[in-house]
Amino acid sequence: MKRVQKSMTNLSRLGTGETAHITGIHAPDDVRQRLQAMGLRTGREARVIRCTRLGPMQIRVGSVDLIMRRCDAARVEIAACDTVRIDIATKK
Amino acid sequence: MKRIAIVGMPNTGKSTFFNRLTGSSSRVGNWPGVTVELLSARTILGSDAVEVVDLPGIYDLHGFSDDEQVVRSFLENNAVDQVVMILNAAQLDHQLPLALQIHKLGMKPVLLVNMIDEAEQLGIRIDARALSKSLDCPVILMSARNGVGLKEARETLIDSLLSVRPVKPHVLKAYLHADDELVAHAESLVSEHVTAPSRLVRKMTERFDRILLHPLLGLPLFFLAMFLVFQAVYTLGAPLQDAVAYLLDLFRGWALEPLAGLLPTTLYGFLVDGLYDGIGTVASFVPVIILFFFLMAVVEDSGYLARAAYLTDALMARLGLDGRGFVMLLMGFGCNVPALMGTRVMRSRSLRLLSMLVIPFSLCSARLQVFIFITTALFTPQQAPVILFFMYMASFAAAFLTALLFGKRLKSDEPFVLELPPYRMPVLFQVLMRGWHEIAHFLKRASTFIITGVVLVWWLTHYPEGSTPGGAGTYASMLGDWMQPVLGPIGISSMMAVVLLFGFVAKEIVIGAIVAMTGLQGAALNGYLATQMDSIQAISFMLFILLYTPCLSTLATQLSESRSWKFTGVSIAWSLSLAWLVSFGFYQGALLLGY
Repeated sequence: MKRVQKSMTNLSRLGTGETAHITGIHAPDDVRQRLQAMGLRTGREARVIRCTRLGPMQIRVGSVDLIMRRCDAARVEIAACDTVRIDIATKK
Repeated sequence: MKRIAIVGMPNTGKSTFFNRLTGSSSRVGNWPGVTVELLSARTILGSDAVEVVDLPGIYDLHGFSDDEQVVRSFLENNAVDQVVMILNAAQLDHQLPLALQIHKLGMKPVLLVNMIDEAEQLGIRIDARALSKSLDCPVILMSARNGVGLKEARETLIDSLLSVRPVKPHVLKAYLHADDELVAHAESLVSEHVTAPSRLVRKMTERFDRILLHPLLGLPLFFLAMFLVFQAVYTLGAPLQDAVAYLLDLFRGWALEPLAGLLPTTLYGFLVDGLYDGIGTVASFVPVIILFFFLMAVVEDSGYLARAAYLTDALMARLGLDGRGFVMLLMGFGCNVPALMGTRVMRSRSLRLLSMLVIPFSLCSARLQVFIFITTALFTPQQAPVILFFMYMASFAAAFLTALLFGKRLKSDEPFVLELPPYRMPVLFQVLMRGWHEIAHFLKRASTFIITGVVLVWWLTHYPEGSTPGGAGTYASMLGDWMQPVLGPIGISSMMAVVLLFGFVAKEIVIGAIVAMTGLQGAALNGYLATQMDSIQAISFMLFILLYTPCLSTLATQLSESRSWKFTGVSIAWSLSLAWLVSFGFYQGALLLGY
C-alpha cells in the first residue's frame, strides 16, 4: 500500500485500484438523493475497481459495487489528500 | 383480511421470498393510489388468511423514481398490517437506512436478513438478537433460496400479525429530511452488531468479472452468450414443438374427429379445421416460449444482465439511452410488456419515454413464433436460421435508429448508476415459476384474444356462403383488396393483409389465422403459403410484422405507463410508418435488383 499525492477533486479522476473518501456530492437535490441512497455518502470510502476510457466505472462503496458513468462520478467530490493505491486482485 | 407488504432493495431476493411464502397463487392487480399493477397473493398464516403484496424493489422511500413513488403512494393509500423488509445480509450498511426509514414511519417492520449463507461465506457475522433489541423489531436471518430460516420467518410473521394494529401513515412528508440522521444510526448499528472483514473479497465474482467485463473480450463474449441462448431455444425447442403438434394431432384423430364427425359439415369445419387447428398450432409453440423464458430467467438471476448494462452503456450513451435501456431491450425479447414496466426504475421522464418508444421494436417471443412458422414453411433448414438472425439484427437496427431520431427531442440528465450484484446460481424453483407464469399467461391470451381473432378470421375467410374458403369472393378478400393500394407495394397479398390486420391485436393470431383460414396443415399448408408469397415477399411480410405495433397489450402498457395519449399515438404512427417504409424499401429494392 503506498500513498499517492495528487490534487484531485472528484471520483472520475481516480484510476483503477485507487481509493478516496467522499466529501460531498454536487448535483440537483433529486440526483443527490439517488446517489446517496445507492451508498455514495459523505465520509464513506470509495474505491475504483474497474474503469475504461469509454465505458462506465465500477466503484466499491462499503459492501456495494456500483457502475456509474464518468460524468456522474464527476459529481462526487473526494478528499484530495488521502488517496491511497491498493494492489487489488483486479489488475487492469 | 390482514395485509402484509414486502419491501426491500433490488437484488435482495424479494421475489424468491414472496414465491416461497405464497406458493404460486399470485395475481397482478390494481391498488388505490397506485397507477401501476402490483403482484399480490393470498396465503394462510397461522389461522388467518393474509394478503401479501410484493412492492417494487427500491433504494429509498423518499426518492424520485416512479418505483419509489409507487411504494410511497401504496403505503399512503392502503392500510398495511405488517411491513416485511428483505435485506441482503452482506450489505447491511447499505440497506439498514431503508429499514430505519420504514421504522420511522411508525410501521414496525419484520426484518428478514436474506442470503445469510452468502454472507457467512464472506466471513460476515450478524448478531441478530442484539440487532433486534436495538431496533425494537424482529430480525430473522434466512436464506430464501435454500429455505434456511423460512420456518422461523413464517412463525415470526404469525406472531407479529396477532399483535399489530394497522397503520395508515400520513406523516411521511415530515420525515423527508431526516435521512442523514438515519444513516448515522444505521452505521452505528452495523458497527455494533455486524462483524465483517475490513475488505469483502468475492473471489468467484472477481474472477468471472475479469473475463466477462474485459475491455476487449467483454462485448464479444456477451454476444456469444446471447447467440448460444437463441441457438439453444431453436435446437431444443424444435423437437418439443413437433412433440406437442404430434400429441394434438393424435387427440384430433382419436377423439375429436369421430365425435365431431356427427356434426354438420360447416360446424365441423369451424370447430376442427378452424378453431382446434388454429389454436393448436399456436399452442405447439408454447414449449419453445417456455424454454426461452427459462433461459432468460437463468441469465437474469445470475447477475449477468447488470454486466450487459455495463458493457453496452458506452454505445447506448451515444444513442441517448443508457445501459439499462439495452437490458430492457433484451428483456423485450421475451415480452415487451414487462420490459416496458421495467423502465420505471428510470427517474427522468424523457429517458423513460425514449426507452418505451424503442422497446416495442425488440423481437418478442410472439413474433419469434411467427418467424419460425414462416421460415420453416418457406425456406430451407439452412436458410431459416440465417433469416431469423437477420430479423434480430433488423430489430436492433430499428431500435437504434428510433433512439437516434427521437433522442434529440427527449434529452435527459439522468445519472447512470447501477448496482452490480455478485454472480449467483439461479434458483431452480424461481426459474420454474417463470415457466409456469408463461403457461398461465399463454392460456389467458389463448382464451381471449387468440380464440376471438381466430374465430373472426375463420368467418371472414369462409363467408359469404358459396365463396372459396380462403380465396376470392370472401369478406376477407374484399377487405384485403380494399387494403391493396397500401399493402400491394410492399408485396403483401390481400389474404395476408387480413392476417396483418388481426396481428395488430396479438402476433400469435397471425399463425392461428393462417391455419384456420385454409383448414390445411403440414405440407399442404406450406404449399398454400407458397402461393401467397415468394421468399422476397415473405421477408417483406416478416419485416412488417417485426416493426409494426406488437400487440394491444403493449399499446395498453405504453399508455398506462406514459399516461400520455400523445406519446402512445406517436409510437403507433412511427412504428407503422417505419414498418411500411422498411418493407417497401426492401421489397422494391429486391424487385429492382431482379429477384
